[in-house]
Amino acid sequence: MSTSVSEPQAAQAIRIADVCKNYGDYQVLKNINAEVARGEVVVICGPSGSGKSTLIRTVNRLEEINSGGISFEGQDIHAPMRASELNKLRSRIGFVFQSFNLFPHLSVVENVSMSPIRVKGVPPAAAHDKALKLLDRVGLADKANSYPGQLSGGQQQRVAIARALAMEPPVMLFDEPTSALDPEMVGEVLSVMKSLAAEGMTMLCVTHEMGFARDVADRIWFIDAGEILETAPPEDFFKNPRHPRAQRFLADLRH
Amino acid sequence: MIQDFITIIQDYWLLLLIGQYPNGPLGGLANTLILSALAIAFAFPVSILMALARLSKWWFLRWPMTALVYVTRGVPLLMLILWCYFVIPLWTGADVPSFLIMLVTLVIYQGAFLSEVVRAGIVSLGQGQMDAARALGHGYMGAMRFVILPQALYNMIPSMISTFVSTIKDTTLGYVINVPDLTFAASQVNNQLLTQPFQVFLILAVVYYILCWSLTYVANSVERRIARRRAGPRNARLPAEAAPLKTITEQL
Ligand SMILES: Nc1ncnc2c1ncn2[C@@H]1O[C@H](COP(=O)(O)OP(=O)(O)OP(=O)(O)O)[C@@H](O)[C@H]1O
Ligand SMILES: [Mg+2]
Repeated sequence: MSTSVSEPQAAQAIRIADVCKNYGDYQVLKNINAEVARGEVVVICGPSGSGKSTLIRTVNRLEEINSGGISFEGQDIHAPMRASELNKLRSRIGFVFQSFNLFPHLSVVENVSMSPIRVKGVPPAAAHDKALKLLDRVGLADKANSYPGQLSGGQQQRVAIARALAMEPPVMLFDEPTSALDPEMVGEVLSVMKSLAAEGMTMLCVTHEMGFARDVADRIWFIDAGEILETAPPEDFFKNPRHPRAQRFLADLRH
Repeated sequence: MIQDFITIIQDYWLLLLIGQYPNGPLGGLANTLILSALAIAFAFPVSILMALARLSKWWFLRWPMTALVYVTRGVPLLMLILWCYFVIPLWTGADVPSFLIMLVTLVIYQGAFLSEVVRAGIVSLGQGQMDAARALGHGYMGAMRFVILPQALYNMIPSMISTFVSTIKDTTLGYVINVPDLTFAASQVNNQLLTQPFQVFLILAVVYYILCWSLTYVANSVERRIARRRAGPRNARLPAEAAPLKTITEQL
């Protein structure tokens, strides 16, 4: 940790400074520097294997890094710290996985209310009420007592979003939330994400949904081979990508 | 013939049921039940701790536990019983009752077997469940307790039942170190009658069969109840579907 990224009352929600990460000899992330402002919606795009998942997973420290630092609301999340402290920080960063990862042994409402009860100590009755409200918000109030195995992919992913929101995180991370879905279910998940963005949630999303990027993102990060090659507002990125590899990526997407 | 069985049971039911008690130590079926219940009750949590140690990132937990599990699984239970019988009193310098020695041996032995099942159950869940729990702010122990183990243990039910059933059967080996259980009582009866070993030991076999069968029955109906509650396209794991896990883990 050569770079100090801790500072009180940072203007940015997330600040990534000089982050490098290796898997053995292979360098997945090469000196990443980037920031997400409060309330900003950032879309990360880039070719397969470029390190998007790795990058987003370092933000809540599901992956460790080799050097650099990542601050979340001014606190360095990769600094040495007690496990309980890290858990507390993590609980304030919502994460939505490509494969949903709902807890199949719990009902939908228990999926959403379990962590507030067990991690934050919210009284069960209050957590339950809150969970029902969140489920209503993602359009699944009628599925509260179902089990994840009884839901479609799109419904499961909406539950996963509600589950993350139940911890009241100021920031939400999404790692290809719609890639595992049948095409007809993509829209229902994207519309939940859109409404979140409209309410001012700070979001960092890896996605191949360029329509979503164009309409909702404030900025695009284009990443290739472990480097952020371009960061630009969507209108600039889609109309005149500057980096040749970004141009090629967009050309490939149109085909 | 049938008359023989009835006579044996009429004459010796109390001995078969509680041994010499209250003139001697509690024995017979009562002791077999107590020994089995205690062995299962302790082997279960012990197996979870052993599995967690074997999956630990710390080598000083992982290595010794791996060695213990391999050794335990690689020797016959009878060896282990005799070994504990002679070594535990040496180490502790106390006159340890054979019941206790049998209990400790069974817990270690069945714990080691069960720990392989638990470990496979945890590993087979994949990383995603742990990631999801950690991302929500659960610590390692919280994630295990609320997310990983409830699923892993549920998937393990068939293998767990077979381990528990073999625990009941294995209590009979306590005979060699004079644990006063049902087998011990039956052999006392046999020694008194001298002429009817077939009848005596058939009664013994029937009692063990009923014991093991009722345990299997209860466990199966518990599993069916959970499966029904979670019924859905992905999670209605009927015992038949969960069975392959058992075959896999028993080959480990
Ligand atoms: N645990 C690991 N060990 C070794 N290499 C890994 C590991 N995880 C990922 N990698 C490699 O790191 C690179 C980046 O992977 P990552 O999953 O971050 O890519 P991605 O941009 O998310 O790709 P995709 O669009 O396919 O999801 C890939 O080349 C991948 O093979
Ligand atoms: Mg990925």
